[in-house]
Amino acid sequence: MTDTAQAPATGPLARLSDQFWRRPRLLLVLLLALPLLWLGLIYIGSLAALLAQSFFSIDEFSGLINREVTLRTYGELLRPANFDIILRTVLMAAAVTIAAAIIAFPIAYYAARHARGRMKAAFYLAVMLPLWSSYLVKVYAWKLILAKEGILTWAVEGLGASTILNAILALPVIGGNSLSVSYIGTFLVFLYVWLPFMILPLQASLERVPGNLLEASDDLGATPGQTFRHVILPLAMPGLIAGSIFTFSLTLGDYIIPQIVGNSSRFIGMAVYQHQGTAGNIPLAAAFAVVPIVIMGLYLWMARRRGAFDAL
Amino acid sequence: MPLATPLAVEFDNVTRHFGPAGAPVRAVDGVSVGITEGCFFAMLGPSGSGKTTCLRLISGFERPTSGHIRIFGQNSEAIPPNRRPVNTVFQDYALFPHLTVRDNVAYGPRMAGVDRRTRHAAAEEMLALVKLSGYGDRKPAALSGGQRQRVALARALVNRPRVLLLDEPLGALDLKLREAMQEELKSLQQSLGITFVFVTHDQGEALSMADRVAVFNDGKIVQEGTPQDIYERPRTRFVADFVGSANVLSPELSARAGGPARWTSLRGEAVALTAPGAGRITGTVRSLRYMGAVTRVTVATPGGDLTATVPAALPLPAQGATVGLHWPADALHEMEGGA
Repeated sequence: MTDTAQAPATGPLARLSDQFWRRPRLLLVLLLALPLLWLGLIYIGSLAALLAQSFFSIDEFSGLINREVTLRTYGELLRPANFDIILRTVLMAAAVTIAAAIIAFPIAYYAARHARGRMKAAFYLAVMLPLWSSYLVKVYAWKLILAKEGILTWAVEGLGASTILNAILALPVIGGNSLSVSYIGTFLVFLYVWLPFMILPLQASLERVPGNLLEASDDLGATPGQTFRHVILPLAMPGLIAGSIFTFSLTLGDYIIPQIVGNSSRFIGMAVYQHQGTAGNIPLAAAFAVVPIVIMGLYLWMARRRGAFDAL
Repeated sequence: MPLATPLAVEFDNVTRHFGPAGAPVRAVDGVSVGITEGCFFAMLGPSGSGKTTCLRLISGFERPTSGHIRIFGQNSEAIPPNRRPVNTVFQDYALFPHLTVRDNVAYGPRMAGVDRRTRHAAAEEMLALVKLSGYGDRKPAALSGGQRQRVALARALVNRPRVLLLDEPLGALDLKLREAMQEELKSLQQSLGITFVFVTHDQGEALSMADRVAVFNDGKIVQEGTPQDIYERPRTRFVADFVGSANVLSPELSARAGGPARWTSLRGEAVALTAPGAGRITGTVRSLRYMGAVTRVTVATPGGDLTATVPAALPLPAQGATVGLHWPADALHEMEGGA
């Protein structure tokens, strides 16, 4: 019955690929089904369950969860002890993000605009290498580096700069007995661990800035500083925002680093960990967990309003 | 003796090498040329001939390996691009994607510290000049290629540069738009009186727009002169070939056809078809290329191919026919160089 000239489909695979070509939507559905199921059901679903939990409350005498919708648990967050945790975590995350951006920018700029060939490969290796080793190993290594008997104190003494280190440690609030039991120590470790997550998106966005835009700015009379402010920074903003989402949210949610390095004051992650574990206060843990989500939402909304994504 | 017109840009034995000192690539190799103020100067050459590097040497994005570039008599070596009295229209326009058209045009004044109201007024004035009034609020991405090109022009001109550098600014436009922009650029240059330095690989563009043309090859200027000089009196075979439409006759062919035993050029329009044996040389028609107003007839002769440009009104020979070719004695132009 077929008298056409084209070759007939041979084998089931060929027939399947013909079918996909004729009905491209079928292929799309098949490709997206699994990830959508994962994202929709497991991820969004558990997020919704978390959100729901935060509107329950705990009976303080029996320790049982009262499944009536209430804002009482959120009210708990405003108690000084809990609010301090939130404030401390947000300040730390902000400090880590700003410091990471400042340190990452020149590195990313060099990698995007100047490094070629082997230097570029070396850059990627240097940025990614720390990610290959265990997070815990890195944090404990830092604890040793920052300890009172550690290599940093030793090196500072060797350089005869002990007075400077002692002056820093004597600072109120952020100082301490040694770097490993101070906020400065916690900050340094956060900064080290999350820095690659700032460098890589920043480098990607700087790489996409055409070189002739910098020449055009130069040609139109801009000083290097003006070119940075009016051309490079706005065009790198999407990368900077992406990087800051990483460093900010990773710091907001981390509960291990402040346990190992620092003065054992609590951060949001630790509070969530303790409330859902030993304390058994799931609603409060959920309410704490919602805080970073709200903060990130506010942050992105503000960034968008300020035009950070205009260059996208 | 009248005073010489002041030079806007002067190349004094300028060389620019790239790559290792041992085996450098000579992008620009001993260029000396003066560009008079108010002139429309075209740098013409194939890609890689050094013309764009010369432009970048004027704007300051490249620095000469040796030699000097003087801009209005001032040595430019120590002056960075942002402090030179020149502005550039870039090849792919280089508009800032995050700024509106108005802010793109107002960028130069803004960097110079001009207040918002004044610089926006200046930008609107320039946009009107390039016939883009009302486009100020758009982003460059929402414009067509021709419109972007005009924005780039307005953005450069708003700074009142004394020299405007144009790096193949019409290369990305389609033919119709390109021809319209050629006329607009030319009239703009005449009304503003600014020195234009225009880089192109399109000989038609260079000849039709420029007051003077420099033909580049291998980092050197092979010939510099008026478009008529370049077209009618090419100095070398390279120029005759590159500027096109001229036949290049070897010494043997030239002598055989009654000319001097030298390399000569002969424009296609000067060649007329005659009966076999009646012309200076006889050959067989190899191909006919219909171009609309004219047809280019290529004739194989014993000394090599010759092309005659035949106006549409005249009869055409058939392919393979034997024809004679004739031209006035003064149409043959002697060129330099043996090889």
